[in-house]
Amino acid sequence: MSKRQLAMVMDLNKCIGCQTCTVACKTQWTNRNGREYMYWNNVETYPGTGYPKNWMELGGGFDAAGDLQPGVIPNLEADYGVPWDYNYESLMGGMADSNTFHPHVSPTWGPNWDEDQGAGAFPQDNYFFYLPRICNHCTNPGCLSACPRDAIFKREEDGVVLVDLDRCQGYRYCIAGCPYKKIYFNPKISKSEKCILCFPRIEQGLPPACAQQCVGRIRFVGFLDDEESQVYKLVHKYKVAIGLRSDYGTQPNVYYIPPTESPAKFDAEGKIIEGSTRLPIEELEKLFGPAVHDSIKTLKAEMKKRKETGVSELMDLLIAYQHSDMFRLDNNYYQQVAKENKRNPLAPVDTRYIAGKFTKAGGHH
Amino acid sequence: MKKLLTTILSLGVAASAALAGDLSLTAVKVSDKLDTVSADSALWSKAKFSTVDLYPQTAIEFNDKEAIEANKANKGKKVQVAALHNGSEIAVLVKWADGSKNVQGIKCTDTYSDGFALQFAGSTKKAQPLPYIGMGSEGRPVVVHLQKATEKVYEPNGNKDVSTQINRQQTGVFGKELAEYDAKVASLANTDFERVFVGEGFRSLTEIKDKSVKSNASMKYENKGWTGTLVRPLKDDYISASGTLPVAIAVWDGAKHGRNGLKLLSSWVAINLEGSKANNAVVAEATEVSKGDAVKGKLAAETNGCAGCHQIDKSAPAGTMAPSLVNIGGYSTAAYLRESILKPSAVVVPGYNRNAHANTPWYTIEKGKRVSTMTDYSFLDKGTVDDIVAYLKTLKVEVE
Ligand code: SF4
Ligand code: SF4
Repeated sequence: MSKRQLAMVMDLNKCIGCQTCTVACKTQWTNRNGREYMYWNNVETYPGTGYPKNWMELGGGFDAAGDLQPGVIPNLEADYGVPWDYNYESLMGGMADSNTFHPHVSPTWGPNWDEDQGAGAFPQDNYFFYLPRICNHCTNPGCLSACPRDAIFKREEDGVVLVDLDRCQGYRYCIAGCPYKKIYFNPKISKSEKCILCFPRIEQGLPPACAQQCVGRIRFVGFLDDEESQVYKLVHKYKVAIGLRSDYGTQPNVYYIPPTESPAKFDAEGKIIEGSTRLPIEELEKLFGPAVHDSIKTLKAEMKKRKETGVSELMDLLIAYQHSDMFRLDNNYYQQVAKENKRNPLAPVDTRYIAGKFTKAGGHH
Repeated sequence: MKKLLTTILSLGVAASAALAGDLSLTAVKVSDKLDTVSADSALWSKAKFSTVDLYPQTAIEFNDKEAIEANKANKGKKVQVAALHNGSEIAVLVKWADGSKNVQGIKCTDTYSDGFALQFAGSTKKAQPLPYIGMGSEGRPVVVHLQKATEKVYEPNGNKDVSTQINRQQTGVFGKELAEYDAKVASLANTDFERVFVGEGFRSLTEIKDKSVKSNASMKYENKGWTGTLVRPLKDDYISASGTLPVAIAVWDGAKHGRNGLKLLSSWVAINLEGSKANNAVVAEATEVSKGDAVKGKLAAETNGCAGCHQIDKSAPAGTMAPSLVNIGGYSTAAYLRESILKPSAVVVPGYNRNAHANTPWYTIEKGKRVSTMTDYSFLDKGTVDDIVAYLKTLKVEVE
């Protein structure tokens, strides 16, 4: 276990599915060099097939006894979708092979192939919500447990889970072991890669790109042991933020405020059925477990309290008046770590991601 | 009867080379340069071919569902091995049957390539027992040459350095320059997956990237089989052999999702360098057939509770506590087995796999060292240990 743990809370009531976070991450980390198909951050429509396809059925994670479960490694074409490109070159350069804009392959699958479809009959009781997902930087990571090369490590300083690219030889057991399928294989360099929680930004006191860019301002970032932080309050004080599929036994450190509101259903005459709700609670139970009931109860109670009395710390937190209020990164913490270890405070605190945990000068043992 | 025969034959080193299993073979001395030797070289007609048995490495079960299924009924495999040397370099050839050619797809996440590896013991001066096969042991390093089947793909500098790619959207504007750039890239394109590692125990295996090992490996697929060759110096910063070179051979089958520990592996094989005095100690270790009685050994293993933690019988559930022994006899030397019984902490397979979960650790860390939770069986008399070793040596699947 790491000394401290960084965590993120995402308020699903506020996510508008705009994919700004996806683009922020993609342009920053995974736009090329074998990472084209990777979405370290993706936002899927729930219920839906998700990305990769049916990730919840691909195994990994731990059973109740703590044993790592076998998993399946998704196929790039069928399960992630080939990252296609368009014929910009010929169109823009006037060397048109045809005068239409077309993809270079015929896509058969891709992330968000079923965007906004959801479930239920349209229009009377159709429903869905958006589920943004990043690596959960788990406390008991399935990816780490599965790696026979000891190439995955959890940073002491903040619990960020990283791949030691020097040790990784592309065996991909980590992908089978992660129940969220949030670790990816780069076929060009034959190594695994994953969300790094933007650690170079974090170390300079900046939130991860997905969180900073988020249009819906749904993302809170902070240390779980910092009682002043929003994540502490949402996770531990009010217990309204819950890990996704905690039943996988990985102890995820990305938490979600479950969606509380959904429109009522229509009857055969097109009239609202009073008191009905489209979003079945079973769906939320599947994602967040039984804790979702208490979470929703608390959220509703605080909403009511706010309406009646005008006071609710929880509502103030969730409203997030100032964007900067959403991140408590203790800028000086990392400077302190650097100082204690006599390292350059501007360089990443931990160079293993680049240099390799076991690499010593010259490559000798 | 066969056991007795093996024992008798292994006393004569040269004679045992014809036998599959625990053996030594001869690197024929030639005067030619070997640095460009490949599967096609005419020089191999001078070599002596021997058969070596490779066994599935099953100490640890990995968590890939499809791979587990594909490797369920794995058998051992015979490979042909030959070696040449010229006093400064050694060339080793390994030939094995493989019904399917598998090359890692550059646009695929769930395919795997065929491959092979040769492992050399770092130094044979103080080699007994020889290092742990696969990772080496503390103070007893190994050098691993790994070659995977690859095909050419687009890479900017052929150096696995992918940081210099350019924006393809500009073709229309900089068409000519880009075409030239592409031509240059194509001429450099080479993703030969040849890597050299040095290891001194689990989790120390490190790639040698400074080009200080002058080796050349290649693979060729023909007639439903692979031929892999490797040339390397007899002496460099990492290995120094005199007379006899201990080597272990591994092959991977991409069709069965083989990679890492999902492989077929030989025990230590002693390669005697023709023209120089063989290192008898190394040969003896590689070819040792335990003097014990396997039947008595089985009983001793039962009464001493080995099956409490280890999976010994394949039909028993995989132990969650200790490495599986179902194939241990195939790729382990008698010396290694004896060492593990007497000094369980000498080599400890680390956790982080399906069989080693947090609640039942098979080792603890003391002063930075892995200490096995296995009982030290040095209280057993020598004869019983030999019997257990003889029994463990019988634990292996059939060879096809
Ligand atoms: S979400 Fe997956 S990749 Fe991320 S730490 Fe957990 S197990 Fe590893
Ligand atoms: S940027 Fe924010 S609101 Fe938009 S999809 Fe991402 S998480 Fe949702």
